[in-house]
Amino acid sequence: MSSTAPVPPPPSALVAAAGAIDARKMYGIGDAAVHALDGVTVSFEPGRFTAIMGPSGSGKSTLLHCLAGLDSLTEGAVFIGETYLAQLNDKQLTELRRKQVGFVFQAYNLIPTLTAEENITLPMMLGGEDGDRSWIDRVVETVGLKSRLKHRPSELSGGQQQRVAVARALASRPTIIFADEPTGNLDSGSGGEVLRFMRNAVDEFGQTIVMVTHDPYAAAYADRVVFLADGKIVYDMSGPTADSIIDRMKQIGH
Amino acid sequence: MIITLARKSLRAHLGRSIFIGLSILAGVAFVAGSFILADSLRGTFNDLIDGLTGDTDLQVRSSLEIDALDAVRDPLPRELVDEVAAVPGVALAEGSYGRYAQMLDPDGDPVVTQGAPTLGVSWSPDSGLSGVNLKEGRAPQSVEEVAIDKATADRVGFEVGDPIDVILSDGQQRFTIVGLVGLGESDGFVGATTVVWDPVSAAALLDDDNTVDTVDMKVEPGADIEAVRAAVADVLPARTEVVTGQELGDELKDQVGEIVSIFGTGLLIFALITAFVAAFVINNVYGITISQRLRELALLRAIGASAPQVRRLVLMEALIVSVIATTLGIFGGFGVAQALIGVFNASGGGFPEAPMVFKPMTAVVSAIVGIGVTVFSVLLPAWRASRIPPVAAMRPESGFQALGKRQHLLRGAVLTVLGVGIFIFGILVRPGSGPQWGAITGVGALMTIFGVTSLSGTFARPVARAIGAPLQAVLGTAGKFARDNAGRSPRRTARTASALMIGVAMITAATVFTASLRDTFTRILEEGTAFDYIVLDDQSFQPLTPEVAARLDALPELSAVSPFRNIRAVVGDDNATFTAVDPVDFPQLANLDVTEGGFGDLEGTGGVMIFRDAAEDRSLGVGDALDVTWQNGVASSLEVVGLFDDNSLGASWFVSIETLESVSTQNPTDQFVVAKRADGVEPATAKAAMDAALTDFPQATIQTNSEFIDVQEGQINTLLTLVTALLTVAILFSFVGIAITLALSVFERTREIGLLRAIGMSRRKLRRSVRAEAVIVALFGVVVGIAVGMVFGITLSYAVPNTVIDGITFPWFNLIAVVVVAVVAAVIAALYPAFKASRMNVLEAIATE
Ligand SMILES: Nc1ncnc2c1ncn2[C@@H]1O[C@H](COP(=O)(O)OP(=O)(O)O)[C@@H](O)[C@H]1O
Ligand SMILES: [Mg+2]
Repeated sequence: MSSTAPVPPPPSALVAAAGAIDARKMYGIGDAAVHALDGVTVSFEPGRFTAIMGPSGSGKSTLLHCLAGLDSLTEGAVFIGETYLAQLNDKQLTELRRKQVGFVFQAYNLIPTLTAEENITLPMMLGGEDGDRSWIDRVVETVGLKSRLKHRPSELSGGQQQRVAVARALASRPTIIFADEPTGNLDSGSGGEVLRFMRNAVDEFGQTIVMVTHDPYAAAYADRVVFLADGKIVYDMSGPTADSIIDRMKQIGH
Repeated sequence: MIITLARKSLRAHLGRSIFIGLSILAGVAFVAGSFILADSLRGTFNDLIDGLTGDTDLQVRSSLEIDALDAVRDPLPRELVDEVAAVPGVALAEGSYGRYAQMLDPDGDPVVTQGAPTLGVSWSPDSGLSGVNLKEGRAPQSVEEVAIDKATADRVGFEVGDPIDVILSDGQQRFTIVGLVGLGESDGFVGATTVVWDPVSAAALLDDDNTVDTVDMKVEPGADIEAVRAAVADVLPARTEVVTGQELGDELKDQVGEIVSIFGTGLLIFALITAFVAAFVINNVYGITISQRLRELALLRAIGASAPQVRRLVLMEALIVSVIATTLGIFGGFGVAQALIGVFNASGGGFPEAPMVFKPMTAVVSAIVGIGVTVFSVLLPAWRASRIPPVAAMRPESGFQALGKRQHLLRGAVLTVLGVGIFIFGILVRPGSGPQWGAITGVGALMTIFGVTSLSGTFARPVARAIGAPLQAVLGTAGKFARDNAGRSPRRTARTASALMIGVAMITAATVFTASLRDTFTRILEEGTAFDYIVLDDQSFQPLTPEVAARLDALPELSAVSPFRNIRAVVGDDNATFTAVDPVDFPQLANLDVTEGGFGDLEGTGGVMIFRDAAEDRSLGVGDALDVTWQNGVASSLEVVGLFDDNSLGASWFVSIETLESVSTQNPTDQFVVAKRADGVEPATAKAAMDAALTDFPQATIQTNSEFIDVQEGQINTLLTLVTALLTVAILFSFVGIAITLALSVFERTREIGLLRAIGMSRRKLRRSVRAEAVIVALFGVVVGIAVGMVFGITLSYAVPNTVIDGITFPWFNLIAVVVVAVVAAVIAALYPAFKASRMNVLEAIATE
C-alpha cells in the first residue's frame, strides 16, 4: 500500500460493492511516462448499474483492470467488498476473481473449445464446485439461450456470445461484474439485447455492474455515469439519459 | 475440469496433436523395437541352443585361457574319444567337428554369408547328440553324400538329389545332397552355411591329423552326471576340460547374448537420438502454441483459474498425447522389430523366425522415453504458461512481455561456456580413461548444444537476413517478405530451427570425425603396405585355408608371400592378438617403420616384434623377455627382437608362423595372404599365375594394393554414408516442428496476409513467400548446426592420438547432401502452411482482430 495515500477507512459492503481511493497508475518512466490513472477516487454502490465513459486513452480500461484485480496500481488503493486487493497474494486474488468478480470483455470472452453451457459454469468448475444449479438455470433462462447451450462459441452470433459471457459472470453471484465495452463489437440490435440483459440482472437479481462504454445510448441503460478524462474523474451523473450524456460529452470535449 | 479442458483443446487442435503424437510415436517405436528385437533374438537363440545342447550330458574340449569371442580352442587327439567312452557311466561318446566347408553354388561361385561361418559338421542321427534335425530326404551315409541346411538350400535353390561342390581346407570336392537339415525347429544355422556328413566321412574329409573338436557324451540312464564328470576328468590330459551340457548351453547363451546386446545397443542409440530430436520438436511446438494460446490462457486466469491450474492444463494435454502415442509406439515397436529382421534376412542374415518377445522392461523404458521425454519437454512451456497475467486477456502485449522475460542471453552464454569446458575436459584431460569420461564428454556436448540453442535467438535476425538475401534477389517481393518474417521474431526462428540444428550438429561432428579417420587411415595404409597383392575372402569374411598361402608361395612369379595368421594370448592382464607372419618375406611386404631390430629376426621360434606404444606401456625394450599365455593355456617366454612405429595393419604383436605352430595345435587359418611380384614380371603374368593357382578356392579374391586400399576406404565411406543417412532420418522429425510453427505463424498473421492479398499480392507469391521462409528457417538451423558440429568434430579428431587421426577432412559431399535434404524437406514442410495462407478469405482475414 502506498505511503502517500491517506489511511483509508475500512470499506463497508453496505455503502460500496467496490471502489478506488486516490488510485494512480503510471506506465513507463521519465519522459515516456504515461499517467493512465491520475488520482481516481470512486465507489460503486451495491445493486446499481454504473457506466464509465471518457475519450479513448482516458484510463477507463486501466481503472477497470485495477478494480478487478487483473492489474496492480502504482499508488492508491482499490477494494472489493470488504477486501483491499493490495493485501492479497496471487492465490487469494485468483479466488477473489473466481468468487467475487465477474467479467465481460469486448471480445474473446469464451473458451473456444467449450460449449456455451460449459463456459458458463467454468469458473465454478475451476473452483471445484458445482455451483447453485437452480440459480444457474434461472440465469440461463433469463439469457434466453436455452436451445444454444450445447453449441460452441463459433456457432453463436456475436450478441449471443456476449450474452453467454454475461451469464457466466452472473453464474457465481459475484459481488460485482465488470464489463469493458461489452457491446463495442456488436450492431445496435444485438447490443441492445446484451444491455437489456444486464439491466435486467441489476433490477431482478440486485447485481452490481460497472460497464465501460463509448456509446451514450449504451450508457443510458445505467443508473449512473462517471466521466473520465486524462486519468481523472471529471463528472459524475445520476439518472442519465442519452441526451444528457451527449451534452456532457460535448462539454468535456470529446 | 482441467482434464475436460485438456481433452477438448486436444480435439480442437487435432492436427497439431497428431503431429506431436507422431513424433513421440516414432521415437518410442524405435526404442521399443530395439528392445523387442534384442529380446526376441536372445529368446530364439536360447531356444536353439537348448535344442543344440539339450541331448548332450557332458562334453570334453580343450580349455581356453581367454574369454574372447574370437579365441579358438585347440582340437583334441582322436584316441580321447575311445578313452572317454571307456569311462564307467558313459553310455555314448562321439567325436564331433565344426570345421571349414565352403559351398559353391551351381555357377561355381561361393555361397556367401554375411560374416557368419561356413561350417562342415559331423552328425549321427541315431545318437541325437547334436541339435541337427532332418527336414527333408535322409541322413548322409557315405563319403559321397552330404546334407545341407535347408535355409541355404532354399536361398540358393538346391534340392535333394542335386550335386554340390564344397571347398575343404585342401581343395574342392563334389558330393550329392541327400537331405536337408536345420537346427531344432529352425531351417537354418543362424546365418551359417552348414554341410553335414556322417561321423566316419566327416573324420575322413575334415580331419587330416587324427583330431576331433569336441567329444560329446551321454551318460548311462540313472547315472549321476557329476560323478561321471569327475571320472571323465580323471582320464583327461592337461589343458583339457569336461563340461556339462547345461554349462555349455549357458556359455553359448552368454556369448550370443553379448553379440545381441552390442547389436541392440547400436539400434538403441539411434532410437534415443530420434527420441531426443522428438523431444526438441515437442518442446518447440508447445513453447510456440503457448504464445498462440496466450489469450485463451489469460482468459482462464481472469475468470478464476489459478496459476497451477493453467500449468496442469498444459501438462495434462501433453500427458494425454504422450500416453496415447507411447501405447501406439510400443505396438509400432513390434512392427519395427519385424521390419528389421526382414531387412537383415533379405541381406542374408539368416535369423530364425523369431516369435516376438515383449518384456516388462520394454514397456518401462518405452514409457520413460515417450511419456518422460514429453512431460519433461513441456515443463518449461507449462511453467511459462502459468506466468501469463490475467490482464493479457485484454492486453496481449503485456502477456508477451511476461513470456519473453527470461534471461536467454545469460543462460545460453553460461551453458555454452560450461558445456564447451566440460566437453574439452572430458575429451582431452581424461584422467584415467573410462566410460564415465565418455559420459562427461556427452554431457558437455549436450550442454553446449542447449546453450547455443538459447543463444541462437540473439543472432538469428542477422543470420536469417543474410541467408535470406539471395532468396530476395531471386524471388523479389516474396523473398523479401520471407526474409522479413524470418527475422521478425528471431527467438521463434531460433526455436523452430533448434531441433534441426542439433541433428545437423551431430551429423557434422560424426562425419568430420569419420572422414578425418578415413583419410589418415588410407594414407598410413598407403605408406605401410609394400605388397602388390592381397588375397582374402571378401564375401563371407571367413579365414583362408593355409593351402592358399602354400600354393602362392610356390609361384616363381611372386618374390615374397606371407599369411597373416592370428592367435589370441594374455600379456600381463590384457588380452592381445598376435599375428604370425613369414619372417623372411615380410620385410618386402610392409613398411611398418621398424625402429629397432627387424622382422627377419623373428626367424625360428621365440621372437616377438612389438608396436612401440604397446612396448612402452610395459617398459619393454629389445632383448627383454615377454611372458605370454596363449589362448590354449600354453605359456611361453618370448624375446623382444624389435620395435616398430606403425600399427595400421591392425597388428601390434608379430611372431613367426613357426612360433605359432610350436605353441598351438589349432587348425591353422589365415586372415589374409599378401604377396609381392618378382622383379621383371608383368602384372598381367603374375595375376594370371595366381588365378591359376587358386582355381580350387573361388572364395579367395585377389586384390591389388590400390584395390585393397580403395575397398578399405569404401568401407569407411559406407559407414560415413550410413551414419549420415540414419541421423538424417532422425532429424526429418524436426521438419514436423517447422511445419507446425509455420502454420501457426501464418495463422497469427491472418490480418496482415489479408491486407497483402487485398492490395494485390497473388496467391502464388504468397505461397512462395511462405516456402521461402521455411527454407530460411531450415538453413539457419543447418548453418548453426554445421558450425557447432565442426567444433565438436575437430575437437574429437584432435583428441585421438595422431596414429589414428593426424589431419582434419571436411566431408563436403555429405554436408552438401544434408543441406539439399534440408531445403527439400523445408519446402515440403511449408506445403500445408503455404496452402492455408493462400486460401485465406481476404475479407474475413481483414475483419479478424
Ligand atoms: N501496457 C501499457 N503500457 C504502456 N501504456 C499503456 C499500457 N496500457 C495502457 N497504456 C496507456 O494508458 C493510457 C490509458 O489506457 P486505457 O486505460 O486503455 O484507456 P481507455 O480504455 O480509456 O481507452 C493510454 O494512454 C494508454 O496508451
Ligand atoms: Mg479501453
